[in-house]
Amino acid sequence: MNGWILAATVLLTAGGGAALWGVATGPLSRRVVAQNLSTTVICPSLLLLAQGYGRTSYVDLALLLALLGPVGTLVFARLLADELTGDRPAAWGLTWTAAGVGAAVVLVLCAVTGPSRAMVKLLVIGALLISGNVVASRALSGGLRGVRDG
Amino acid sequence: MADAVIVVALLLTAASATAAVATRDPARQALVLAVLGLLLGVVFTVLQAPDVGLSQLAVGSALTPLLIMLSVRKVRRRGKEGDK
Repeated sequence: MNGWILAATVLLTAGGGAALWGVATGPLSRRVVAQNLSTTVICPSLLLLAQGYGRTSYVDLALLLALLGPVGTLVFARLLADELTGDRPAAWGLTWTAAGVGAAVVLVLCAVTGPSRAMVKLLVIGALLISGNVVASRALSGGLRGVRDG
Repeated sequence: MADAVIVVALLLTAASATAAVATRDPARQALVLAVLGLLLGVVFTVLQAPDVGLSQLAVGSALTPLLIMLSVRKVRRRGKEGDK
């Protein structure tokens, strides 16, 4: 077990446990935020696992998750719009903390990889992850008019 | 010690599966199922089966919640029409 896998384990335990607790208990607004958080936590841990196992092809999993995770949250934001109108879920502190963790992981991995095509891929994953997370959070908190009214 | 990440992933999956069973409302169940899909993807990855994990992530994170939420919506609409 090397340091990368240890870091992935710690991130998975802390973030995954918190997301699971949030999604299984409490009001609906908190559950949706926790579902969004789970994507933001698991994607960096997949990147760390790819580095830990030394297989660059595992990075594709994180790329797919960074693409499809926010799509899943947008599905909930759209189809639960009626039930979420009462209390708008807004957890910007949590959102930016999770985004910061993702950015830190991506930057560290970039520094290890060095300038190459793999580094470009990592940067793309990081950009997709953070922008998708912010867009999903805005949709949940009612910032996107199309999601709320459509 | 090297298996710690596998143990953690399996425990989280078991906990989320239990939570999915214990949740009664279908809409909330879909949220737990989305997290369960992600965790299953992690389990497949740490067991060195990234191809299975790839398809599991694709299906579990977006497709299953979409199908369940659309079904719930349709059933609720039909119920409302039946009341009238």
